[in-house]
Amino acid sequence: MTSPDHAVVEREIHIAARPEIVFSFLTDPEKMVRWLGIRATLNAQPGGVCHIHINERDMVGGEYLEVVPYSRVVFTWGWEGSPLPLGSTTVEITLKPEAGGTRLYLRHLGIPVEQREFQAAGWDHTLARLVIVAEGGNPGPDLWATAPMG
Amino acid sequence: MLDLVLQAIAEPRRRAILLLLRSTERSSGEIATHFEVTRPAISQHLQVLAAAGLVTVRRKGTQRLYRARPEGFTELRSFLEGFWDEHLQILKQEAEAEERRVRANDLT
Repeated sequence: MTSPDHAVVEREIHIAARPEIVFSFLTDPEKMVRWLGIRATLNAQPGGVCHIHINERDMVGGEYLEVVPYSRVVFTWGWEGSPLPLGSTTVEITLKPEAGGTRLYLRHLGIPVEQREFQAAGWDHTLARLVIVAEGGNPGPDLWATAPMG
Repeated sequence: MLDLVLQAIAEPRRRAILLLLRSTERSSGEIATHFEVTRPAISQHLQVLAAAGLVTVRRKGTQRLYRARPEGFTELRSFLEGFWDEHLQILKQEAEAEERRVRANDLT
């Protein structure tokens, strides 16, 4: 799965709760915000939105690609206004029942690790986009003019 | 890492320093001549930028020379590993609490 310019993050964890309950934390907005973000707009079906306000200024997510009750949820993922825009990578979560609860496997695919695409976009562009995130999304067009150059 | 990067570039003077170092290696003294602030203040900004991986430094004689490091922006993988570790722990706690609630309700 790993191409030269993409990486995968893989995690797994045991949760002492049945898969139905863990699944609800991936699809129900009220439960989602108990572990991820402060507000969420979720339409848990293929093609449905998966938008999570991670804090007051940043939104993450994308859309659901696969929703299989109690066993699998796949959604696209990114940070609005970052080098990793909304929907630019994919998160796969698989739930397997096991003694005492659920084993959760998370794979985050398509993470850019080399600079190819960022170089193509250009240093200034990358920096400018990160500044937008850092400043809450409203830097204005003449951002650099305000820098105290001598 | 991304948090450090975002903090580093949230300060306008640090962004200006990054622009100065984009294509040219410069000493901290040389950087300081571009700003109306003290050299220690510039050194502090450079430390923040270096901690975020946005500038590199090398010694040349008694000088320390700084240069911007654009690849510092792309170290997303380690950031994401920490991000998921942290949030999966919270998911575990919350789902387990929910399981206990559901069980308690089933018993009553």
